[in-house]
Amino acid sequence: MPSSFASPPDAPARESPRPQLAILATLALLLIALYWALIGAPTEATMGTIQRIFYYHVPAAFAAWMAFGVNALASIVYLARRSLKADAWAVAAAEVGLAFLTINLITGPIWARPVWGVWWVWDARLTLTLAMWVMYASYLILRQLTPEGSLQPRLAAALAIFFAADIPIDYMSIRWWATQHPSPVLFGGPDSGLAPRMLVALLISLAAFTCLMAILVWMRYRQQLARIEITRLRQRLALAEE
Amino acid sequence: MNDWRVFLAVLRRDLRIELRTREAMLAMGFYALLVIVIFSFAFNADAALTARAGGGLLWVAFLFAALVALDRAFLRESAEASLTGLQTTPASPAAIVGGKFASSFLLILALEAVLLPLFAVLFNAPPATRWWGVIATMLLGTWALAANGTYFSAMSVHARQRGLLLPLLLLPVSIPAILAMVQATQVYLSGAGVANYWLKLLVGYDIIFTLLGLALAEVVLAVE
Repeated sequence: MPSSFASPPDAPARESPRPQLAILATLALLLIALYWALIGAPTEATMGTIQRIFYYHVPAAFAAWMAFGVNALASIVYLARRSLKADAWAVAAAEVGLAFLTINLITGPIWARPVWGVWWVWDARLTLTLAMWVMYASYLILRQLTPEGSLQPRLAAALAIFFAADIPIDYMSIRWWATQHPSPVLFGGPDSGLAPRMLVALLISLAAFTCLMAILVWMRYRQQLARIEITRLRQRLALAEE
Repeated sequence: MNDWRVFLAVLRRDLRIELRTREAMLAMGFYALLVIVIFSFAFNADAALTARAGGGLLWVAFLFAALVALDRAFLRESAEASLTGLQTTPASPAAIVGGKFASSFLLILALEAVLLPLFAVLFNAPPATRWWGVIATMLLGTWALAANGTYFSAMSVHARQRGLLLPLLLLPVSIPAILAMVQATQVYLSGAGVANYWLKLLVGYDIIFTLLGLALAEVVLAVE
């Protein structure tokens, strides 16, 4: 990754590799995943049809965690090298990760209500997910409220590193807390291994969601670069007019 | 050695300003007092309620007070370009942030020391309460809030909606610390045993985030 985003001012805009093929492949994968989730996988014995939400719920969480990992790495790279490209990766990953975590948080209660009998329990995993959602939302709000320029990526990267230190402690504290107050209903999920066709559905869905996440992050990254470029050109224009 | 002197100078200056103006002390003290008074009649507080939920109620009041104090910590610096002045000195950013942290910590602690007896009276603290445990939790919890709060206060001073941004940054990262202080206070208030592991978690949290804040002090203090 180059140390700064500075292309020669009069160079023609670099032609980006066309992502159409990757988008089509991901779309196909998502359709296959949908087929497997709705038809390919057998109906779960005790939970019934509602269990099928699992094929979207788990991959969404997985994609979100991966995106937040990208955000943490990019933030460290930004602080080390002050590269605006790294910052563009960080903001792209945080936004997309938050979207996937939202899918996870919405599908969870829809499943929990019929299966557990309650929408929400303060179980370790649920609480950690909610805490992470709140954290990355505050990350985006910080970016929204700080002026653009070198300050915004710097503060955002510092906050992202705080999150990286916070999440393990969060997990530990919530586990202690949740074990102190056992949840009213036990997790009856497919912990004890999946039927082979269920596993196929899950794996396809994991692959599809991961590809979708990667493509969205990549597109948002390109958009962020364009935005930086526009800001730079505007500044040049303003200078030229003076 | 030089860092140590900068740290002491910033700490002494902040405390002196506070002692002379009593701005933050009065504002946040009265605010927290109002919260405690309103909670006490809103929840119709008796010993049973305090034993069950007192930890959460006490810390909500303390959190509000801390937010007022922390919001002011760097506001004072942005007036008359005092922050820029500090940065042009060869003082290390970590020493400046450390000094501001220490003054906020002492300030919030002094306020809590006044509010705790008031809380005990208005909330009819159960006789079984182990006060040494409540006080230990107060020290460690306030340390956590002041360490992160000073850091985020420095961050939000450059932002639009400064006063709004500070709680939005501080609260999510402080979730494990808040959980630990509320739970530990609850255990000691109800007199139901000891909460060593919550205190240990707070100690760990304090160490990690104090060091992280000092290590990254340069990142938030530098202005363009």
